Amino acid sequence: MKLVTSVLVFGAGLAFAQGEPQNPYKNDPGAVEVGRGVFRISCSPCHGIHAEGGRGPNLTLGSYAAGDRDVDLFNVIMNGVPYSEMRGYAGMGPENVWRIVSYLRVAAKSVATEKLPGNTASGEKLFWEKGACGQCHRVGNRGGRLGPDLTRSGRSRTPQYLRESVISPDADLTPGYDTITVVTPEGKKIVGAQRGYDNFSAQLMDSQDNYHSFLKSEVTSIQREEKSLMPGGYGKMFSKSELDDLVAYLSSLGVAR
Amino acid sequence: MRMWLLLVVVCALAVGAAVTDEKLKSSQSDSGSWLMYGKNYSAWRYSELAQINTSNVSRLTPRWIYQTGAGQLQTTPLVFDGVMYATGSANRAFALDLLTGRPLWRYSKPVPEGVQGCCGTVNRGFAAQGERLFKMNAEATLVALDAKTGGVLWETKVDDYKKGFSATGAPLVVGNKVIVGIAGAEFGVRGFVDAYDVTTGERLWRFHTVAGPEDPVGRKTWGGDSWKQGGGSTWVTGSYDPELNLTYWGTGNPGPDMDGDVRPGDNLYTCSMVALDVETGKLKWHYQFTPHDVHDWDATEDPVLVDMKKNGVTVKALLHANRNGFFYALDRTNGKVLSAQPYTKVSWAKGIGPDGRPILVPGQDPTEKGNESCPGLGGGHNWQPTAYSPQTGLYYFGSTDGCELFYKHKQEYVEGLRYQNSTTEAVPNKRNEGSVLAVDPTTGATKWRLPLISSPSAGMLATGGGLVFTGDSQGYVMAVDARSGKLLWKFQAGGRVSGAAITYTFRGKQLLTLTAGEAIFTFGLPE
Repeated sequence: MKLVTSVLVFGAGLAFAQGEPQNPYKNDPGAVEVGRGVFRISCSPCHGIHAEGGRGPNLTLGSYAAGDRDVDLFNVIMNGVPYSEMRGYAGMGPENVWRIVSYLRVAAKSVATEKLPGNTASGEKLFWEKGACGQCHRVGNRGGRLGPDLTRSGRSRTPQYLRESVISPDADLTPGYDTITVVTPEGKKIVGAQRGYDNFSAQLMDSQDNYHSFLKSEVTSIQREEKSLMPGGYGKMFSKSELDDLVAYLSSLGVAR
Repeated sequence: MRMWLLLVVVCALAVGAAVTDEKLKSSQSDSGSWLMYGKNYSAWRYSELAQINTSNVSRLTPRWIYQTGAGQLQTTPLVFDGVMYATGSANRAFALDLLTGRPLWRYSKPVPEGVQGCCGTVNRGFAAQGERLFKMNAEATLVALDAKTGGVLWETKVDDYKKGFSATGAPLVVGNKVIVGIAGAEFGVRGFVDAYDVTTGERLWRFHTVAGPEDPVGRKTWGGDSWKQGGGSTWVTGSYDPELNLTYWGTGNPGPDMDGDVRPGDNLYTCSMVALDVETGKLKWHYQFTPHDVHDWDATEDPVLVDMKKNGVTVKALLHANRNGFFYALDRTNGKVLSAQPYTKVSWAKGIGPDGRPILVPGQDPTEKGNESCPGLGGGHNWQPTAYSPQTGLYYFGSTDGCELFYKHKQEYVEGLRYQNSTTEAVPNKRNEGSVLAVDPTTGATKWRLPLISSPSAGMLATGGGLVFTGDSQGYVMAVDARSGKLLWKFQAGGRVSGAAITYTFRGKQLLTLTAGEAIFTFGLPE
């Protein structure tokens, strides 16, 4: 840690210096192992045991939303991402955060740069036309709002995960996208995707992109199910090569080309 | 005449200003104050105050809100002589004027680089004696502050944060001693309970919660040299029985958390309740809830002292809702089990045998590939303060209800680094839920259960108004009927409700204070 401190002090002392904090454990095998252990404890619940993603982004792609320098990773782990599920981990100490960065560099290297079999352009066409995925999913400024925004799906999910999500939408539900079914005192049934849920209320978006909010005490019932509103059947609708194309397209989204 | 009145007022203030030993011992009857972490030495968290009660609690409204800017709050504030004293994360603390909520002084000390701790630099509050306040700082020091100014009177190094020690708990003052616990069992520390002199900060005794060579019998429960990284931290405040002159502390998990292979044996005195002689720190008795724990089920949950009737005889009991899913009543004179009943789903043991040991279910240990066990890593019940109401005879606490996948990993020990060898994951498609529970301590039977979507993030406060106060991680403060568990009042405070509510009187009116997010809220009935 002394090294980091001195670099910071040096940088502050000489305004024209271009240096940025460097990882004191760069290429240190011992630090990688400790980093792996710390990662498993603190990070794996969201990013997976092997950093390949899950609820949180896949971190083995070597390309990160926060930036691709060591210091970018360091800062995002220390400080978190505001208003996201990624909280800051300054509490584990900067040394451990640098060790995680060292581990992630090795984890990213160990994943072979995968050449996906599908055709991205064909996949894009399938997404918007045959699959009509854009009815509920957004890419950039186009598409629906009910399902998760896929603008950066290539950064945040592995191809395997995306394929599974297309074929079996309930396999690992994106947090906050549970299905909420409300029955009002008048007998009206409203179904939508969860936007908020607590001990006393539920907020949801229906298929017309309308927001609703209900107090549990004011309705006949509120049911929350850990299942997706996304219909099944895409595994049958698409041929194997079409699925390859679709996964290639989704995997390309948000990834620097 | 005016002069005479003034003198009387000045004298009253002067008398009221110091927190004497007598006041600490009779803190239960001082409903105008909140003098220690658990309200009284028995850690009841019960107040006789009944101005706020089941018939009017729905009218509670905020009196003032103080934004601390001090991170996550787990503090139990202290209140005496018109002033509130509370601690925040990252070595922050403050004194607040009860009338307005405005700060009278603030204390902060930078946390040294390299201080770790499993779960942030949180802090659970002050202890008080005379005009001194005592708190732990994150870097494992004990500091005494002048209650009038926040100035530092002394600061003592409890242990070395570079070895992985840290501190989060509120101290306990007994006579001339400040008794403190320590954190760091995820970093291979060897835990302890310490006592320090209130005036000088000098250490008076230390009890090691991990038996070493000085304790040959306990030492045999640790294979090889594993005791050196044995864990057993003591991060939640203990209780005290003045008659027996014993202080009771729950101890944390053995280290490393989930790889039990490197520490064969029962691993005394981890995951145990220890009864220590206050004068010497010597062990009077111990009871180990989870021998050779591999699920991180610390036994640091509150030790609550209650004299209760069992089979027509009054017994000196110690109540404890353990993270391992069982509620225990122990005989606090000798550590024998009076009753032990599961309060949530438990998969690892069929029950507690007549010898006091759990009757294990095979195949429940963590594995490389992950193994499902119930409750999950955090319990069951965790550190959140509990409450006992002599009015209802019930014991109140929160619980997470569900299971987790437990993983075991191999890892070499490196001093000062995390030594946990483990992680957990949610069981796919099985969401854990939570509840507020009321347990009859004489039988261990659950009298009522208020189901919630997750465990209440706050502890409990029971009152003579027939109420139990708690709160959840979505920001709701709640009041429920202590007899039935029926929800009577809620308030959205906009941040995770942590710590536990306290209640006291100010200008003759009952107030309620608790924390949510980074703010301290004080509620009262409309004037």
